Amino acid sequence: MEGCSDVRAQPGHGETEVIGAYPAVHFTDVVFSYGAAVALDHLCLDVARGETLALLGPNGAGKSTTFSLLLGLQRPQSGTVEVLAMSPRHAMIQGRLGAMLQQGSGSGLPPGVRVATALNLVRRLYPHPTPLDVLVERTGIDALLTRQTHRLSGGEAQRVRFAMAIAGDPELIFLDEPTAAMDVEARRTFWRMIQDLSTEGHTIVFATHHLDETDHADRVVVINRGRVVADGPGATLKAAVATRRLTFVTEHADPLVLDRLEGVTDVELRGSGVALNSLDADATVRDLVRKGVSFCNLEVTGARLEEAFMALTEDGSGAEGDDR
Amino acid sequence: MIGLVAFGRFELGRLLQSWKFLAVTVGFPVIFYMLFLNDRNPGKVVDGAVPWRVYLMVSMCSFGALVAALNAGGTRISGERACGWARQLRVTPLPGWSYVTIKAVVSMLVVLPVVVLVEVVGTTFGGVHLGVATWCELTALLWVAALPFVVLGVFVGFMVNAETAYPVITMLMFVLGYFGGLFTPVDHMPQALQTMAQVLPSFHHVSLGLALLDGRAPSPAHWLVLAGYAAALGGIVIWRHRVEESRGLA
Repeated sequence: MEGCSDVRAQPGHGETEVIGAYPAVHFTDVVFSYGAAVALDHLCLDVARGETLALLGPNGAGKSTTFSLLLGLQRPQSGTVEVLAMSPRHAMIQGRLGAMLQQGSGSGLPPGVRVATALNLVRRLYPHPTPLDVLVERTGIDALLTRQTHRLSGGEAQRVRFAMAIAGDPELIFLDEPTAAMDVEARRTFWRMIQDLSTEGHTIVFATHHLDETDHADRVVVINRGRVVADGPGATLKAAVATRRLTFVTEHADPLVLDRLEGVTDVELRGSGVALNSLDADATVRDLVRKGVSFCNLEVTGARLEEAFMALTEDGSGAEGDDR
Repeated sequence: MIGLVAFGRFELGRLLQSWKFLAVTVGFPVIFYMLFLNDRNPGKVVDGAVPWRVYLMVSMCSFGALVAALNAGGTRISGERACGWARQLRVTPLPGWSYVTIKAVVSMLVVLPVVVLVEVVGTTFGGVHLGVATWCELTALLWVAALPFVVLGVFVGFMVNAETAYPVITMLMFVLGYFGGLFTPVDHMPQALQTMAQVLPSFHHVSLGLALLDGRAPSPAHWLVLAGYAAALGGIVIWRHRVEESRGLA
């Protein structure tokens, strides 16, 4: 129940584990609740320096609360939160952290100034800022520099806020759902920037609820109901949620036959339409042919995210956390 | 420290580049002054033995200080809190208390030139002639005594949401202006309003200036009320800021 049980998928990446004497993030047995609602339930989390970590979880899993504590915006009711072996607030004031928060309705930028002015202010708050031209080139916002902050679109403002997060060349970068307002092209550029920052040795922690965005991380931690339910390299997690969804139309849908097909975990029938969840789509299709089930319009897709979370949370250690 | 200076310069620059802010803070006191200037007999005596033209200049200095302080704080702070900028600053190396502090310091800085401007209008058009020492003394007095106005501006910015901040600021400008005796001397008002003026910071602000120019020792009540406003409103702002910080909202 309490303490930090290890839910790591496998321990095979020991050589990249420790860079420097202390971890970038050290979260021990952290409890945080908003009144009666428990947001973090004895959460344990360590992030090695230089690591890129994805914090994956459905809405309300505790991702934003985790960020809030990591940045020292809030304090846990119990447990300890350390960033670079000191209190988060301390690390923040020393200019070693940069962050992009989730944004509500506003732009998160100061009204009535040009983007360059706002960006320069944030740079000047840090002891060793990135030169403006380097920052602008890296984040691709040169076209925005002379614009007034209140005239930016949501996606543009987000790019400026990302530039602010890295303006001080911080060791640790925290990004809470960084791609939320970005279009496909902006996302691609964004992840390339993250890759560069990671190569330079920055530690990056980002939250997402898109399973495919975890491809950009060295390690993925899945949290649900305020607890870590899975922890490991992205590929391992993806394999763990390798459920595929097969849909097709058939004349004689016999649930008994369908349920016994190889790999099938779940059967849904809607008239002549069939949807199967399978852990091995290839084997299921072969078995369909072998058993002589007629089918047309066959489609195989990845499982939906909700199902992926369910797969992870059912066999993870999160099952006991119901009594919140 | 470097960060504080950078933030202060940024804030000041932003204020001085705001066309709206400059129009209101310069326009209101100067235009009102010009309108009132032709309104009454300039030699008429008010508040004991103060000539009307002197009263008019001091009261417009007070009004200018009030307008500048409320507009530098109020709507801007509540807007920045609503759009998330105040929160964004919390994830920079800037210490948590510096946002409020710098806002107040910058408000104080913009009050000073407004007071001086009204004095310049007073000596060029208003027929007020004082010695250099008295000008300096008057300016310093009205400036320092404007602190409760500045704190009131910050207070509105923290307590009122972005949509209502503007009407609240406008209302405060005219309520404190009129009932504090900045448009008509309080001793020309009905008794009930004279009593009410005693609890308004604007009345005590203008009274300090008038007492100085009239050669009287100012009543300690003026300083007490002004200090009380600054302390009480400032205390509420600090309390609110702390609560928000502990909830991770600030």
